[in-house]
Amino acid sequence: MLTKELVAASTVPLVLSVLTEGENYGYALIQRVRELSGGKIEWTEGMLYPVLHWMEKEDLIESEWREAETGRKRKYYRLRKEGRKALQEEKQQWMSVHETLTKLWKMYPSST
Amino acid sequence: MENVSQFDLNASLGLWLERLVQSPHFRNENVAEMESHVRDSVTKLQSHGLSEEESFLIAIRRVGSVGKLEPEFAKVNRSSRNLILHGVILSFFSVGCWILWALLLVPRIFEKISSDPPPLPAFTRLLIGCRDFLGVPPLLALVYCLYVFIKKSDVRPSWKRFLAATVGAILLLAFPIIVAVLLYFVE
Repeated sequence: MLTKELVAASTVPLVLSVLTEGENYGYALIQRVRELSGGKIEWTEGMLYPVLHWMEKEDLIESEWREAETGRKRKYYRLRKEGRKALQEEKQQWMSVHETLTKLWKMYPSST
Repeated sequence: MENVSQFDLNASLGLWLERLVQSPHFRNENVAEMESHVRDSVTKLQSHGLSEEESFLIAIRRVGSVGKLEPEFAKVNRSSRNLILHGVILSFFSVGCWILWALLLVPRIFEKISSDPPPLPAFTRLLIGCRDFLGVPPLLALVYCLYVFIKKSDVRPSWKRFLAATVGAILLLAFPIIVAVLLYFVE
């Protein structure tokens, strides 16, 4: 389980990254993250929606209500150009943290 | 074993959603999206062999408590501009009404300082007598603003409507008052 702070920091890059696979709706986004993380990333599911709406306000993503194959309506989210740009920046930042930690842990394997 | 109490998904979901509907922090669209989410979640959990009731209970548990979600939705749904503009218009309207009220004092003041004051025309006297009622329109406007404040943000009426109504009211009030004051000085 991630800490509250890490969940808050990682939700936006996770959503942006999952949406690079193509448009998707909230429930499926959560499923995808759970599946890829092997169940290690568990969100309070309802909390995703205010984040999605904030991202929409920031023009990172756009949304559309459409009828799904089940006959019910779902709100689909899609990446926008601004979102792709934001993802590139997020990626660089996360990679630098990741690389630094990896180097440190390689240097001092006993500490982990 | 037979099911003793029949579980009704639509009824239980409706009851749960009602709490979101009642909250001013969830837009109607948010409620629809949460419903869609819970239904998807229930369908998925049922496909793993859980009963409809079990699936529903787990689904809403995973969504999180309404109390915890509320502040997050409130943050993103806050459209402060519309509310601020309502407040600004209310202030201007109140000041406008106060100016009209003060305007009605002018003939009275003039009457006091002049040595040989002409009598007040009947119409002027009537309006001066009623001038304290000018407190009523700002009060009504305040009540309206409070009503707007508790409305859901996606059905909240626009400030433009309020502006049109208050400007109309000021003009309607100003016309007879200006006539009454001028009438005194013309005579």
